[in-house]
Amino acid sequence: MASPSFLPAGRLNLEIRTNLAMGRQMLILVGAALIGILVSAAILVAAGVPFGELLSEFVIQTLLDPASRQAVLAQAGPLVLVGLAGSVAFRTRFWNLGLEGQMIWGSIAATALSVFDFGPPGVRLPLMLAAAATAGLAWSGLAFYLKERFRVNEIISTLLLNYVALYLLLDLLYGAWQDPKDSFPHSPQFRDFERLPDWGWPIHGELLLALLATVAVFWLLSLSRFGLYIRFVHENKGAARALGVPVRAVMLASVLLSGALAGWGGFIITDVQEGRLTQSFFDGYGFSGILIAFLARNNPLAAAMVAVLIAVLFVTGQSLQIFYQIPFSMVQLIEAIIVMTVAASEFLIRHRLRWVA
Amino acid sequence: MDSVLELRAIRKSFAGFAALDGADFTLRRGEVHALLGENGAGKSSLMNVAAGLYAPDGGRILIGGREQRLGGPREATAQGIGMVHQHFHLVKPFTVAENILLANPRGRFSRGIETIEREIAFCTNMLGFVVDPHRRLDSLSVAEQQRVEIVKVLLGGATIIILDEPTAVLTDEEADGLLTTMRRLAAQGTAVVLVTHKLREVTRYADRVTIMRGGRHVAACDPKTMSTAQLTELTVGVALPSPVREKTARGELRLIVAGLRVEHETGRTALDGVGFQVRAGEIYGIAGVSGNGQSELVGALTGTTAVAAGDIWMSGAGHIADRPPAIRRSGGLAAIPADRYAQALAGGLSITDNYAVAGVMAGRYGPWGWLDRKAMAKAAAAAVRAFDVQGVRGLKQRAGLLSGGNAQKLVLARELAGDPVLIVAHGPSRGLDARACAAVHERLLAARARGNAVVLVSDDLDEVIGLADRIGVMSRGRIVAEFDAPADRQAIGRAMVDHG
Amino acid sequence: MAICEFIVNWAGGVPATALPYALAALGLIVSERAGVLNLTAEGLLLVGALAGIGASLAIADRPWVALPAAVLAAMAVGLLFAGLVVLLRVNQVIAGLAVVFFCQGLTSLLGTLAEWQNHPISGLGKLIVWPLSELPAGTHALFQQDGLVYALLPIFYGVHRVLFKSMTGLRLRAVGEAPEAADSAGLGVTRYRVLAVVAGSALIGLAGGYLAVGGTKMWFGGMTGGRGWIAVALVIFARWRPWRALFGALLFGCIESMVPRIAAAGISVPQYFILMTPYLVTIAVMVWAGRGKGGADLDEPGALGRPHVREERR
Repeated sequence: MASPSFLPAGRLNLEIRTNLAMGRQMLILVGAALIGILVSAAILVAAGVPFGELLSEFVIQTLLDPASRQAVLAQAGPLVLVGLAGSVAFRTRFWNLGLEGQMIWGSIAATALSVFDFGPPGVRLPLMLAAAATAGLAWSGLAFYLKERFRVNEIISTLLLNYVALYLLLDLLYGAWQDPKDSFPHSPQFRDFERLPDWGWPIHGELLLALLATVAVFWLLSLSRFGLYIRFVHENKGAARALGVPVRAVMLASVLLSGALAGWGGFIITDVQEGRLTQSFFDGYGFSGILIAFLARNNPLAAAMVAVLIAVLFVTGQSLQIFYQIPFSMVQLIEAIIVMTVAASEFLIRHRLRWVA
Repeated sequence: MDSVLELRAIRKSFAGFAALDGADFTLRRGEVHALLGENGAGKSSLMNVAAGLYAPDGGRILIGGREQRLGGPREATAQGIGMVHQHFHLVKPFTVAENILLANPRGRFSRGIETIEREIAFCTNMLGFVVDPHRRLDSLSVAEQQRVEIVKVLLGGATIIILDEPTAVLTDEEADGLLTTMRRLAAQGTAVVLVTHKLREVTRYADRVTIMRGGRHVAACDPKTMSTAQLTELTVGVALPSPVREKTARGELRLIVAGLRVEHETGRTALDGVGFQVRAGEIYGIAGVSGNGQSELVGALTGTTAVAAGDIWMSGAGHIADRPPAIRRSGGLAAIPADRYAQALAGGLSITDNYAVAGVMAGRYGPWGWLDRKAMAKAAAAAVRAFDVQGVRGLKQRAGLLSGGNAQKLVLARELAGDPVLIVAHGPSRGLDARACAAVHERLLAARARGNAVVLVSDDLDEVIGLADRIGVMSRGRIVAEFDAPADRQAIGRAMVDHG
Repeated sequence: MAICEFIVNWAGGVPATALPYALAALGLIVSERAGVLNLTAEGLLLVGALAGIGASLAIADRPWVALPAAVLAAMAVGLLFAGLVVLLRVNQVIAGLAVVFFCQGLTSLLGTLAEWQNHPISGLGKLIVWPLSELPAGTHALFQQDGLVYALLPIFYGVHRVLFKSMTGLRLRAVGEAPEAADSAGLGVTRYRVLAVVAGSALIGLAGGYLAVGGTKMWFGGMTGGRGWIAVALVIFARWRPWRALFGALLFGCIESMVPRIAAAGISVPQYFILMTPYLVTIAVMVWAGRGKGGADLDEPGALGRPHVREERR
């Protein structure tokens, strides 16, 4: 760093810190997240939500009220899945920013089975899950193919493919799949055997699915041989290739898995929340997946925990929308602020400022 | 005393490691002053302090007898100090004139370009070489780029010019040309600092020499009054015995390379029909000025560079020219690449992971779905002990925190584990201190004694001559001559530059 | 005759649709030439658009109020981005995305709370400059353009001159290609990067402001519809060169200006598939740009996306 010229003698030196104790790191990160939340709270207060109400709404209602708690858990399922999807892709430095597009495709594919009444009722639900995963991974695989074959930057391709998927969804909902019963732009209601089972709180099909995915991804990334490979690919692609790690296969696998998880995420939102395909079910989930992966440092267990916290934010955002007419995009704003403060705080983890006389 | 630059008791540390620990240096007007020391002795760090790039943690800087504080490179330039770095500080897509104008502004852009072109012509005339100011920098050879750096520094009004390892990338001829030019500059009153670890340059071209070791000043003297042995001892500390190469029986053929061609993306031919054979228990050395196809040859052998034509046969793996690295490695290939941090280690991963990855791939640490972390850690611990890897606080420590020599030992431990059919080593002692260097050589000779076949590619001619049983000389993508040990240094040197 | 009228109408619509792409891509080029990978365009366009409408509604419904407001608002957000990536060295992809989502959230919140949503303004008026106005009336649809359209060429020429024919540009590009070289030449890498990001943001803000004040003439959430991402792709296609970016922007202007006219001309194609075309064309253009051996990133600024750290040692 250049020395600021207004200082008479000596200069402020920036040094690289290589080993800060884990505890300290956590402290800095949590502190930064809290600052982000405080900034967000200040914005909400400025927007007309009384601070006391905010506190009771956010903390007391959401955490203590059983109905809200249930809503949080219901919200957490898809968030866990998109968070895992982000983590898995970012592990190979593939910027999969197309989580929303993959969610849309997952939902469309699963809904297609319902619309066309495909397959016997007994296996309809597993078929829908398989279709959602396949469609999601096809969409992320397309971006991977474009990158490998034509060097199309995946940041751009995945983002643009989101819009393509969105317009396909709108075409279906305003056209072929429009519900004939009420002519609203949504698909006909799923049948009972197409809905994920609910065995009474808290054992719900979607939570089991999220839990299962978390454990499976944890095993894959931390316990299996694939996990070691993916760590090498993440750290040093050149060395991994030279050491005989099948780099391309590892990357492809992680990108496909990411798409499949996002596809599932999309499917369970449509299946659990409305029981039909709607036009904006995916709103806010794409960036949430990126945020969760970022805050969890691509660790699947941490991602599951962060996802629950983000679910609290979602539920709070929904009630703010109802009671104070604050647009739901406030959630997005808060998420962005937290990403900024946490990312900025990493500067303190990686550097030390020192005054040199 | 007309000392133009004096550094006193300079201290500087990086992340707790003291690169400079009270270093002294005095430079006089009109002299070529060599700064001699091993890699990591702190030569470059000290000169970066003099050039204003590093802020020292302590010590004093006197320029022309007055104490100065250098707030940055610009202030050093204003004091007449210019540095030519080992990695050139030039902008590749810019022309020569633009590069020089960037560092030496001459008013408005279009007029500045004209002015600077005139100045370049004047300066190169004086120095006795030619540089075309309109050429793009990335179309120039390394030696030409170095000239651009020197012109840039001189046009900045430098009366003190620091050259950091200037000859590392040059042929002997080019190096002689450069150093002769520097002598001429010094005769006109410029003070020249020559940072180097090559003794021959010191005794031939320097008026005085300062020797550094471990971040400190060790001695300053006239090199003509010292013997080579004395200088060596001052540089290294204790004189190290040169490696002993015992006679071994050569075994069966392990590697046959024939008609190997490699082309760059730009269409330039990097390897043009390379062929040689290596037997078990033999070290085949490849000598040459760097940039003559060595990197591509190593890439072709290890599978990281695509081969356009030709054949590579390796005993145990068959014809491998177009097979991926995994096939070669499972057939018994071991690789010690030139840049260990970029090509051999994942700096962010633990020592255990870095050591065990090869074994994991061979299925030594459990089935696909399960890694036996305990066994991995145990094996890594044993390897760290056996190869004397120092600076390990724990096996979970990131490999990137190891110093160059210890990182290289870790690579050796992994690559030499088991009984490789063929070892490809590229500059295995580059950037290592004398002790680590000796350890590396010892390991390679042990592998040879064990009956492994070794291909040793190195820019360091002494290393190749000291270790290899046979030596192939590379020039412009071909093997232009082969020599059996003991080989004549002069003859090899001639082969390196004669063939076109 | 109908075909002829269709073509004149269509061609007349091209500059207005191309302009936001052109200005946004130009702003990104300024930033990326200094080595800062910039994904913020989509967010800055929104901020510029909202600021333009907001200023029109709250202060005065005049373009010389609205457009400067758009520029200033985008510069403020650009400064935030520059602080994150240049000073604090946050990963430039993460920071860029965060800024986009920050802007999306913020504009939607402000637009709703201030009730600026769906309030039309009179905005920027069309004009036709003198020699062109003397041409036959049938061609007037071609040249009846917003004032900013006429300013586009001078803006591009100016930025091109600064980048390639001035010391400032030489230094800015040096900072983006080889910060070490720039640093040792005594240039403040940090300062140049911050200034480049903020200057680039101003151009993107202008693009956003025009989108609202000259185009839709009202605010609604998410009105930029991914144009910022297309601009990011355009920059790669243009190999970080202003004139190529202008050409690419015109290409997109042609396509986008075709979209509403197809429906108006009574040709029946599923509308949502037509709305997809800009994105599909962008991907196709990227594929085309990435063909061949070298690929598109040959001309990429050498230090793009890489923070500059002097004191770093492994």
